[in-house]
Amino acid sequence: MQAVNLFPHRAYAAEPEQLKEVMFYKKLPDLKVECEICPKKCKIADLERGYCGNKENRGGTYYTLIHSRPCAVHTDPIEKKPLFHCLPSSLAFSIATAGCNFECRFCQNWNIAQYRPEQVESTFMPPARIAQMAKEQDCQTIAYTYSEPVVFYEYMYDCAVEGKKAGVGSVMISNGFINEEPLRKLSKQLLAVKIDLKSFSNKFYKDYCSGELAPVLKSLQVLKELVMWFEIVVLVIPTLNDSPAEIKEMVSWIQKNLGPDVPLHFTRFHPMYKIKNLPPTSVSTLETCHKIAKEAGLHYVYIGNVPGHPTENTYCPRCNKILIQRMGYAIMKNEIKDGKCSCGQSIPGVWKLPMKL
Amino acid sequence: MKSFSSRRDFLKWITKLCVFSSGMMRTTFSFAGDAQIKIPNDRKSTVVIAKRPEVYSASGELSSPIVKQMLDAGIIKVTGISDVNKAWLSIFKPEETIGIKVNAVGGISICAHHEVAYAVANSLISAGIKSYRIIIWDRLTEELRRGGYTINRDENAIRCFGTDGDYEREPETSGSIGSCFSSIISRHCDALISIPVLKDHDLSGISINLKNFYGVIHNPNKYHDNGCDPYIADLNAHPFIKNKLRLIICDGLTAQCNGGPGFKPQWAWKYNGLIFSRDPVAIDQVGYQIIDEQRKIKGLQTLADAGRFPKHIQTAAKLNIGIADPAKITTVLA
Repeated sequence: MQAVNLFPHRAYAAEPEQLKEVMFYKKLPDLKVECEICPKKCKIADLERGYCGNKENRGGTYYTLIHSRPCAVHTDPIEKKPLFHCLPSSLAFSIATAGCNFECRFCQNWNIAQYRPEQVESTFMPPARIAQMAKEQDCQTIAYTYSEPVVFYEYMYDCAVEGKKAGVGSVMISNGFINEEPLRKLSKQLLAVKIDLKSFSNKFYKDYCSGELAPVLKSLQVLKELVMWFEIVVLVIPTLNDSPAEIKEMVSWIQKNLGPDVPLHFTRFHPMYKIKNLPPTSVSTLETCHKIAKEAGLHYVYIGNVPGHPTENTYCPRCNKILIQRMGYAIMKNEIKDGKCSCGQSIPGVWKLPMKL
Repeated sequence: MKSFSSRRDFLKWITKLCVFSSGMMRTTFSFAGDAQIKIPNDRKSTVVIAKRPEVYSASGELSSPIVKQMLDAGIIKVTGISDVNKAWLSIFKPEETIGIKVNAVGGISICAHHEVAYAVANSLISAGIKSYRIIIWDRLTEELRRGGYTINRDENAIRCFGTDGDYEREPETSGSIGSCFSSIISRHCDALISIPVLKDHDLSGISINLKNFYGVIHNPNKYHDNGCDPYIADLNAHPFIKNKLRLIICDGLTAQCNGGPGFKPQWAWKYNGLIFSRDPVAIDQVGYQIIDEQRKIKGLQTLADAGRFPKHIQTAAKLNIGIADPAKITTVLA
């Protein structure tokens, strides 16, 4: 896609030549456009932006305002994403831009995800530079994370392409609220995906995230079909999405549609953004969720944001041996050899960076 | 003493209590401030229209002296005080910092004219307000610059700048809205003048006064569903707006009846008017009727028939922000 310098006087970015056209949208009459990246399908009039706030219709052409403009750049352990079955103890070069297609009332990164590009500090880092920096910092992957990468799709896609050239994989940390076509196209550039399953209730998605459940489930099914490595995270919020009945329904859907090998992380909520009136999730609630998932037959169930809890470890589903012992984001030991336990049981995941990305 | 059968029940009760408490706070806030816009007991409102066809020259240039004349005529009518300076001082006090919230989003062709905003600022100065107590502002400095405004942050003259990234650190709740407000409205200004544009909006039907305040929060993009309703009304019910907004002067010198909010020359027309009110809802109701009338002239469907009835006007009236009933709005020419 060609970078353009259409209206430099209108560009919020310091380098207006980096204004790029959105990859998935269609033009409508009267200079309107319809975004086709996510299921919101925003219809946007001239000079307006979509729900995500980081793409703008300028004269009937839809532009992303944040290509090459990350507002967060860090080197993280990949366990922080969390991805537990993907290159354990490796580093992920983690980037984000402003914007999100949800508005989760409990958003942990709302200071960037719920802001517009001009409201946050950002730096100019084109995809080739991202790939180069990832390589220089010994990162095996570039992680698109913190905010919602679906809304910086073009930048993520281009970084993943550049990463591949440099021998660096890409992982997407997402809410999964993406249309099928862009997901399929993107998946060819990715090594792994983490999806936040916010709840198993559409009402929760609507009331607390301004989203929908069905498209997220669809994305999970597409990832399964594509044989993409993915893990699921559920942020358990007291009273809002922690009922045993809902968890049971969720894990039974996962077992039936995605199989027992998809890692499922139940993570602890901390009061944030618009939900500050609830306490952090109790460990016992997380343990109840863990128990329900294990009873449903899921093999790899974890509790997150509770450092030192035994369910941070990866156990062999056959002999119950600790295969990867964790303490927070640190790996204390890793006894998976060639993707297997010493008992011979295969442990699914991405255990080494493929020669050909 | 209330008893709870489980921790879950207790937490649910606490959640309900917090929701209830926030509603109580909202009610209490609405009584603050002596000089705030008040809805009279007989619940009628006045909207003043000053039209001067000669405000644009034959070559299309805007005449600042005529803008000033319109402004004087309007403020006299809207206050009922024949002395212009006294009229301004009946609304604003010299010790107050006054924010003039313009709408510059549409670019120079369809934004609040800087000639109008500076004429308002100069009228305030003439009435005895110090120039450093006046801030002309919108969400982005860059948008103001594009609208022809002169950016100035020094206190030796009228200040003019955008919020840019300077929002409150924590979100405020008002009904369905949860947003961080511009510190210009939350911290710097004691009183507000809104200078919106008389124009169509693709989703909310119109973008006049009530919608002008989408430019004071950090996340307006989250509030465009359902024709922006009830979001626009809920936003305007927030004390930062409801208690500080004293006067609205809608810039209808150039107006637009379709294709908004961006400028569409085929739907723009010279209305040659400034519209004044102290009622944030009534002015939108009158502006809506003007736009719908122009749509008929242009052979367009009414906004209602086009599926863009501006629902937020009625919703704002229900929240007691102002009067929406046309029968209770007196329109006066100045």
